[in-house]
Amino acid sequence: MAFGTESRKRKAITRDVPETSDVESDAEFGDGILEGILSQSEDDSADDSVEDESDEEGDDEDDLEALDSDEIPSEDEADGVVEKRGSLQEDDHKPNYTVTTDANGGERYVYDEINPVYDSDDSDAAAATNTIGNIPLTFYDSYPHIGYDINGKKIMRPAKGEALDALLDSIEVPKGWTGLTDPATGKPLNLSQEELEILRRIQTNEMPEEGYDPYPATVEYFTGIEEKMPLSSAPEPKRRFLPSKHEAKRVMKIVRAIREGRILPYRPPEEREQEEDEDVHYDLWQDEQPRADHVMNIPAPKMAPPGYDMSYNPPPEYLPTKAEKQAWDSTDPEEREKEYLPTGFDALRKVPAYDTFIKERFERSLDLYLAPRVRKNRLNIDPASLLPKLPRPEELKPFPTVCSILFRGHEGRIRSAAIDPSGLWLATGGDDGTVRLWDTSNGRQIWSVKIGDEEAVNVVRWRPGRDAVILSAAAGEDIFLITPPVVDPETETASVALLDTGFGYATNATPALTAHGQRKEPVAKWTRPGSRLQDEGVLIRITVRTTVKVISWHRRGDFFSTVSPTAQKSAVAIHTLSKHLTQIPFRRLPGIAQTVQFHPSRPLFFVATQRTIRSYDLQKQELVKIIQPGARWISSFDIHPGGDNLIVGSYDRRLLWHDLDLSTRPYKTMRFHSKAIRAVKYHKGGFPLFADASDDGSLQIFHGKVVSDMMENATIVPVKVLKGHKVKSALGVMDIDWHPREPWCLSAGADGTGRLWM
Amino acid sequence: MDTPMVDAGRQGQVLVYFHTESPDIELPEGKRQLLVPTDVRRYGLSQILNSESMLDTTSPIPFDFLINGTFLRTTLDEYLTANGLSSETTVNLQYVRSLIPPLYEASFEHDDWVSSVDILSSTSVAGTWGKNSVAQGQERILSGSFDGLFRVWNKSGQAIVTSASASAGGHTSSIKAAKFISPTQIASSDMDRVVRVWNYREAEDQLSAKVKPTLELYGHKRSVDCIAVHGPSNRILSASADCSIGLWSTEASSAPAAPPSLLPSAKRRKVTTSVTIPQRGALSMMSMHTAPATAVIFNPLDPTVAYSASQDHTVRTIDLVTSTLVDTRTTSHPLFCLSALPGISSQLLAAGTSARHITLLDPRVSATSNQVMTLRGHTNLVCSIAPDPNSNYGLVSASYDGTCRVWDLRSSRQGTREEGGGSVGEAVYVIDRESQKDASKKPVGGEGVKVFGVAWDKEVGIVSGGEDKMLQINTGRGITKA
Repeated sequence: MAFGTESRKRKAITRDVPETSDVESDAEFGDGILEGILSQSEDDSADDSVEDESDEEGDDEDDLEALDSDEIPSEDEADGVVEKRGSLQEDDHKPNYTVTTDANGGERYVYDEINPVYDSDDSDAAAATNTIGNIPLTFYDSYPHIGYDINGKKIMRPAKGEALDALLDSIEVPKGWTGLTDPATGKPLNLSQEELEILRRIQTNEMPEEGYDPYPATVEYFTGIEEKMPLSSAPEPKRRFLPSKHEAKRVMKIVRAIREGRILPYRPPEEREQEEDEDVHYDLWQDEQPRADHVMNIPAPKMAPPGYDMSYNPPPEYLPTKAEKQAWDSTDPEEREKEYLPTGFDALRKVPAYDTFIKERFERSLDLYLAPRVRKNRLNIDPASLLPKLPRPEELKPFPTVCSILFRGHEGRIRSAAIDPSGLWLATGGDDGTVRLWDTSNGRQIWSVKIGDEEAVNVVRWRPGRDAVILSAAAGEDIFLITPPVVDPETETASVALLDTGFGYATNATPALTAHGQRKEPVAKWTRPGSRLQDEGVLIRITVRTTVKVISWHRRGDFFSTVSPTAQKSAVAIHTLSKHLTQIPFRRLPGIAQTVQFHPSRPLFFVATQRTIRSYDLQKQELVKIIQPGARWISSFDIHPGGDNLIVGSYDRRLLWHDLDLSTRPYKTMRFHSKAIRAVKYHKGGFPLFADASDDGSLQIFHGKVVSDMMENATIVPVKVLKGHKVKSALGVMDIDWHPREPWCLSAGADGTGRLWM
Repeated sequence: MDTPMVDAGRQGQVLVYFHTESPDIELPEGKRQLLVPTDVRRYGLSQILNSESMLDTTSPIPFDFLINGTFLRTTLDEYLTANGLSSETTVNLQYVRSLIPPLYEASFEHDDWVSSVDILSSTSVAGTWGKNSVAQGQERILSGSFDGLFRVWNKSGQAIVTSASASAGGHTSSIKAAKFISPTQIASSDMDRVVRVWNYREAEDQLSAKVKPTLELYGHKRSVDCIAVHGPSNRILSASADCSIGLWSTEASSAPAAPPSLLPSAKRRKVTTSVTIPQRGALSMMSMHTAPATAVIFNPLDPTVAYSASQDHTVRTIDLVTSTLVDTRTTSHPLFCLSALPGISSQLLAAGTSARHITLLDPRVSATSNQVMTLRGHTNLVCSIAPDPNSNYGLVSASYDGTCRVWDLRSSRQGTREEGGGSVGEAVYVIDRESQKDASKKPVGGEGVKVFGVAWDKEVGIVSGGEDKMLQINTGRGITKA
């Protein structure tokens, strides 16, 4: 590092000149002198990295300032500067080192041996100097020595020659002989050649300095020629010779200001010193006081003290292995744990320059003016802990997990499926117009009847209650009430009786009259379906005006409601089995009716239109509540057997759980399917389960536990996705139902199979 | 240097202590401990046991060996290494008569799904109830089918007789259960709520026979899914989907009259039968279950006690003398079949559940724990179980997953937490449907492969019938050299 800066400094100096000259050349200097230097500087800077430029600029500025401080730089000075620099440049022109490769393979600068010129520089090494000071040498006349050298040793008197020697000397005077004795050394004082030359010059009235040119060629900065025709021949105006009043005024103003102390003629010297001292370093956190933790206050970062690994020659255990080095290299600089890699050098002088110095400075600057000092809040939260605490699905057993029995036989889709209240039979209706009955426990089809000639069977539903076995099915505009011939004669008789009692009532009833006194067209006709179907067990056909899509039975088994979404007024109809009576409860509905449900315990009736579900009190005949699930198009809904909760499935893939006591908005929205949800159903036999069926061919089983405690919300846990139904023409599972006792789920698929999941 | 030494040690011998629970093949006291080479397998050990110095059997008896409740399937050495035992320990080897792998023998084709199977042989229960015992080679297989007919087959695959059609007094709906009462009597039940008793008489050449309906028993309101018979006392038990258990007599004279409301009306009977068969009612109709009863059996040791299983998760003990409920054992799943395992010292019942396993129950009143053991391995509902006639510890089960599995109760392990702990057994052999041999994929929901009935007889082997309209026979033949 130290080495690096040194070399940098030297380099910076070498390149000072051209830069300065660049600046100055415009002003006064001719380009000629500086041409070569400029080009050389270019050569030099070619080797140097760009990084150095910031330093150079700093130096340049210093120089410029220095120049600026003299108001008008005199030519000589300027010239001198240039020349001096030029000579420096000259010295540096040939490097005083050679570059070789050292043991580590790096560059090594080998400098020439310094030749100490003792005769010129080193006065210590000269002959002993008398240290007696400024006293006459005659004091030592009686001594054999004439003084003491710097080491306190006697300087012996030089031997005096014999008289003959003195005579010979006087005859052959050596050059520069003066006949004097050097008082300092006691030796004869002889003059050197140069001194003699200077003496000669002085004697011949020449300039004593050698090579001095008393008449140098004049460099004509200003012309010395007097113009014959000056621009103006007007005599000098008088004002040139009068002191200016205006100037006097201004001077007086300044003088007054100085007197009053408004202008300080000189800056106080201590101030100036301070200014020089305080460079450009600011300690941002100099007067940092410990403050309370706050967003707007970020305490200064505490740097960790340097460790062993930061040493230039760390212990070997701190040095990274090859793999670690590779890993460090391969990681992104931002993700590195340490910004540096511990490196060992066996000598401090082998430590190279800090290679990221500039980069680091640059980034610090960026940090200072770009990056807001905002605390980076690391989220040290385990994502799992954010999830609500739900019981594991394994703990919520039993729920259906695998397809145990497959019911195959329908041609085309199965549109609807229902398990009878005893759990023995499964009824399905499909596109082939047949209603089929299957044995739930072994998958055997035990009975089938074709009720729709051209129409598909849209819905099959069992009448609740164990006293009779009645199946209702709808194909087209017809609703059929069926007693399948699989039951014992007792039950069959009871079922037939239940279905047939209404015939007498219907014939005895007085037909409703319109306002005009005409017989009103009945909304539905209750008839016998014909002998063929009657033999099969189909006992009653109810013909309404439009296609029936939904049948929903009241829990007592006397009422059932049908929905014909395409109808205008008679979309929802309520049928009374014991009277063979069909009523239209709603003259107008806000939207297309989708499905209906009777409340499992109270006299409430729920009607779902595309976007809302309305609940009506059948006794008071008023609207109780409007539930807004927020779904775009409700496909189905089901009421929890407890009566306080509702699940809604929608064609926009959402499954919504409503708590009727809480709000008209959903308590929970689940969006797990990739396609529309066709059917939703609660388990009605005591298991806290519900399921939905979707067009993506899967069923999802949820654990939905409702507690009687009003303070506690329902626990909803998705427990199983049941896949298996094939998607046919974008339709997957059409209908689902639950076994009345067991946690078994039944699904009817568009692929023509029914599946029982256990 | 060391390795050969170690090898020599490994190839050495281990002290084995032979013991068994079958007294007839027990070794004399002095011969029970033996040094055997560690590289022997089951076959080698079996040979050692059969040798002259040990048991000295006239014909070799294949043995299986149990160490710590698991069957030895490797060499002794591998077992020791796997369990980290040194060869210096004494190994306790329990030897049992080997379960012979059931190999496919034959398939008898039907017109419709086979719902139940039964076997008449000299060693079967029904065979022992007859006046004349069944001759060797004259075993009969009875199969009830969903087309409303049952068939009696001989072992070579000839249908000796087919039951009468509906017009001739036969079943008007699918037969759900059919059983030999004695070599001359058959009982069958159907989905039309009727239990029928038939007289079965074979011709002299034993290649044809006649079945004549002798009794129609009315009383159930739903499909009769299972019947159990007891020849000596002329009793039939039936389990029906109407949640009740019926007790019937096979003799018209001792049976009460049929309840008229349950007799089929003339209008509903599509075909008028030319024959008139006496119609009788139940001796006792016990409506004790809350969900469809699926299986009923007599206690094999005491015909006045019956056990019934139901989809309401319970196994109930019934005292038939008073027709009262004695005990209720509640399990956690709907039960679909029941079988007694009389061989084990205590009375033990095996019940197949909808949760794809078999639960072993101890129905004694004194028993405190409900489930003794669970047999896991089936992938669908278990609908039929038959005990192993050769062993007290074996049983075979049939399931909707299209397999029959053979189990040995002696081999067990500790159940994992997911399985609810307890003792868990795993199948020894799996019998697949021969009709599905070429199928590459297992059908979903047991479609076309469901096995509805299984029976195991000493003479005939394992007979099973199912949705593939096949009656399949598997027998143990030969001994695999393990």
